[in-house]
Amino acid sequence: MITVRSVSKSYGNIDALKNVSFNIEKGEIYGILGPNGAGKSTIVNILNTLVKPDTGDVIIDGVNIKNDGETIKLIMGVVPQEIALYEELSAYENLMFWGGLYDIPKPELKISVQKTLEIVDLAYRKNDRIKTFSGGMKRRINIACSLLHNPRILVLDEPTVGVDPQNRNHIFEVIERLNNEGMTIIYTTHYMEEAERFCDKIAIIDAGQIVAQGTLKELRQISNVTDQLTIKLADADNETIARITSENPLFMFDSTTGTLKVECGNIGHDTPIILNQIQNSGGVIERIYTQGTNLESVYLKLTGKELRD
Amino acid sequence: MFKLFKKDLILFLHDHRSVILTFLLPVLLITLFAFAYGSIGAYDGRSEPVKLLVCDLDGTKSSKEIIHELDSLEDIITTVSDPIISKELVIKGEYAGALIIYKGFQDSVENGNSTPVELVYDRSREMEIGILQHNLISTLMSSTGEIIVKKSIEKYLQGLFPAINPAITDNIVKTTMKEDNKLSITYTSVVGEKNDTKLGLIQAVAGTAIMMLLFSVAAVGTSILEEKENGTINRLLYSPLKGSTILYSKMLFAFFISILQLTVMFLFAWIILKMDMSVSIAGLIMLIVATSFAVSSLGIFLASVAKTRQQAHNLSTIIILVMSAIGGSMIPLFIMPPILQKMALLSVNYWGIQGFYDLFWRALPLEEILPKILVLICIGVLMTSASIQLFKKRIIKS
Repeated sequence: MITVRSVSKSYGNIDALKNVSFNIEKGEIYGILGPNGAGKSTIVNILNTLVKPDTGDVIIDGVNIKNDGETIKLIMGVVPQEIALYEELSAYENLMFWGGLYDIPKPELKISVQKTLEIVDLAYRKNDRIKTFSGGMKRRINIACSLLHNPRILVLDEPTVGVDPQNRNHIFEVIERLNNEGMTIIYTTHYMEEAERFCDKIAIIDAGQIVAQGTLKELRQISNVTDQLTIKLADADNETIARITSENPLFMFDSTTGTLKVECGNIGHDTPIILNQIQNSGGVIERIYTQGTNLESVYLKLTGKELRD
Repeated sequence: MFKLFKKDLILFLHDHRSVILTFLLPVLLITLFAFAYGSIGAYDGRSEPVKLLVCDLDGTKSSKEIIHELDSLEDIITTVSDPIISKELVIKGEYAGALIIYKGFQDSVENGNSTPVELVYDRSREMEIGILQHNLISTLMSSTGEIIVKKSIEKYLQGLFPAINPAITDNIVKTTMKEDNKLSITYTSVVGEKNDTKLGLIQAVAGTAIMMLLFSVAAVGTSILEEKENGTINRLLYSPLKGSTILYSKMLFAFFISILQLTVMFLFAWIILKMDMSVSIAGLIMLIVATSFAVSSLGIFLASVAKTRQQAHNLSTIIILVMSAIGGSMIPLFIMPPILQKMALLSVNYWGIQGFYDLFWRALPLEEILPKILVLICIGVLMTSASIQLFKKRIIKS
């Protein structure tokens, strides 16, 4: 559905994107994960033909964006990072305005507006001015405005920034519903749990470069991140700790926390074996902490930094 | 308390707009007004010479002498013309007044009768007319006044005592010379007499309307930057709309608001302030449209020069106030020194206000106002072209 090949873009001396390539299949939810300023919005703007890449090609639904930007705009809906609405207009007026830009006949547009309001569960507030809406409600109308022309591809640029958990769930439900109806979705975020929750594939982007991409399973393999077991021992003296670590060289003692840390390939399988080894070496286990491999640890491993720093 | 004071001071200094509005703008306006009232600079309170048309229908030695003396004055430059053309030129505002010396002038002087001299003038050019009046009376008095008085007394005495000794007549003349004379100038205002419009009302309506129009239109221009900042411009660009369409629609809106605002202002002046509207309707419509075009383009241009909404706001406030001050919106142009009157040509206010003066005060037909309308259209075209380039660079491509 979407092919991005060796795309680069610079603004003066700043390289916003460096040789970025990826493929998105029809009906996929493709997550682009990275910190602010990593290049996510530049990708969005290139996909929507707003920004021309310096080099590389972007093919969307068989159309090269260089040749036919108008067609791309008709098959794609973009939900911008900002709440790009007219606060003094009602939700209905905003939707009629934004939908009207696509030359949809008025009767059809009215039906589309009503349907979209129902999708984002705000039909009951349609006549209220946007300025009276909560931040989360505005975000939902922000999404609704991009659905009116019935796009085949929906690009969401950080759609949940500053949204409370309840509205965030509403947004997730909308995205999942649209995807179930066959819409291809590109989702940029710097929230790991969002990317992990519903993205079929994830690209990790840092400083304008895609560091890694694939399914979460593939990313785990690429990053070589393992599960970790942390064990707190009860009344362990130095002699006991020295014995445990000498008999089990893979066990690392963290003197600052007073815990033993063990990396393991499969936490479910390996935990009983490790606990048995500690007890055999004379250790008494007080508490166990497990940490499975998640996107956060993958990201940390691949980029060497915390995403939320 | 000092910490709070210090905090407020730091916040104030960081707010460049407040600093500019507090210090720079008043300084600029004070400087301008000081110039206008003639208190500073090289201007010594003297005006440039007043241009006076003279029509000598008498063609005698006395009339030529008067014209020669007037021409030798520092404050007056004379141009010879005929009465009909002279009146037209005064009505069009090209000259402040015209002096017509009618046939029989020399005879009147010699016979001690009232002199047939008329000054046709434009009431709106109060200062220039004051200078003319002062100089005309002095000149006529010095060159003809004595003869007129002498002849007048001699004629009177001859009537009473036909055999009177000329020496006695001379004595009487010398003692009474300053007590009676028949020197007379007829003053005829030829501008603004066709209708009931008051000069001050035209100044107030046209001057204020154009200044306020600039503020409204600058706000429309600034809204482009506001839309850029809140993301709606980008969202519009995500749609099939072209960038230029977005800009043209803003310009169209600014143009429409300008026309509407000016129309409402003149309707208010007509209905409430009883401004006489018996003028060329075609001229009025064209002038409103041309002024609206020039002003709306300028408003959009000011917004296109700025990078942020705040910057646009500051810039437009300063430019509009300064332009309104020199362009005649705040102070009538005739009280300004010559240099500022020349600088006024650079402001859109000047061309608009003078156009409305031509229409309402001078009651000129459309063809006479066309040059000012053309200047306004040229300003609009220039500003629009510059705005398009700047917006493409700063708003659409950034």
